[in-house]
Amino acid sequence: SAEPAKKKRKSRWAESSDVRSFIPGMPTIIPAHLTKEQEKAYLLQLQIEDYSRKLRTGDLGIPANAEERSPSPEPIYNHEGKRLNTRDMRTRRKLEDERHKLIQQMFELNPEYKPPSDYKAPLAKYTD
Amino acid sequence: PGLDMSASGITATEVLVLINMVTPEELQDDEEYDNILEDVTDECNKYGKVQSVEIPRPIEGVDVPGCGKVFVEFASVSDCIKAQQNLTGRKFANRVVVTSYYDLDQYHRREF
Repeated sequence: SAEPAKKKRKSRWAESSDVRSFIPGMPTIIPAHLTKEQEKAYLLQLQIEDYSRKLRTGDLGIPANAEERSPSPEPIYNHEGKRLNTRDMRTRRKLEDERHKLIQQMFELNPEYKPPSDYKAPLAKYTD
Repeated sequence: PGLDMSASGITATEVLVLINMVTPEELQDDEEYDNILEDVTDECNKYGKVQSVEIPRPIEGVDVPGCGKVFVEFASVSDCIKAQQNLTGRKFANRVVVTSYYDLDQYHRREF
């Protein structure tokens, strides 16, 4: 297109083609004619495993380039002066929350579903 | 149980489906939709000749078939296989890209 000097936007694709996440037992090539439910359950499972792997390994997907990170909130410290909202902590909490949502969706599809062993449902969510 | 995810029964076609890559919310926004279309087309063109791309967008109150998936038609099955090998398992907006093939006739009839 003839648009004037537009700043090159960053692609959504991960930087390097060798950054792949192969999860054991969870191929990323799937058959064409799964039912909607089968496909949904599979994708939920894959994402849950992906989040679990991130939480377990500490490879949280925080961009190495500081410019690509979101702005930080004001720091919060406890009485010992230890910071309580580092980027690592905030990212972990976000991943835990996302994973919890996915696990809830999975239970709706399959009440027999066994969540990852390190998963603990937030207590407040079970009060209804 | 009994869900066969093995490679058997997977037949390559000219149409690659990219799944788990975009959310209906992202596609609502015109600018984001254009950017996603550009990112997909640019990347796929590295591996083969892209004939067409279809990204079904959400319509309020309608269950749009294929919404959330990206369909890419290549000039040949071999181009499509090459793209699939390079793209499957990659991260797009930090999501794991899952791939599948799609029947060319169904794609042309927009039966998603």
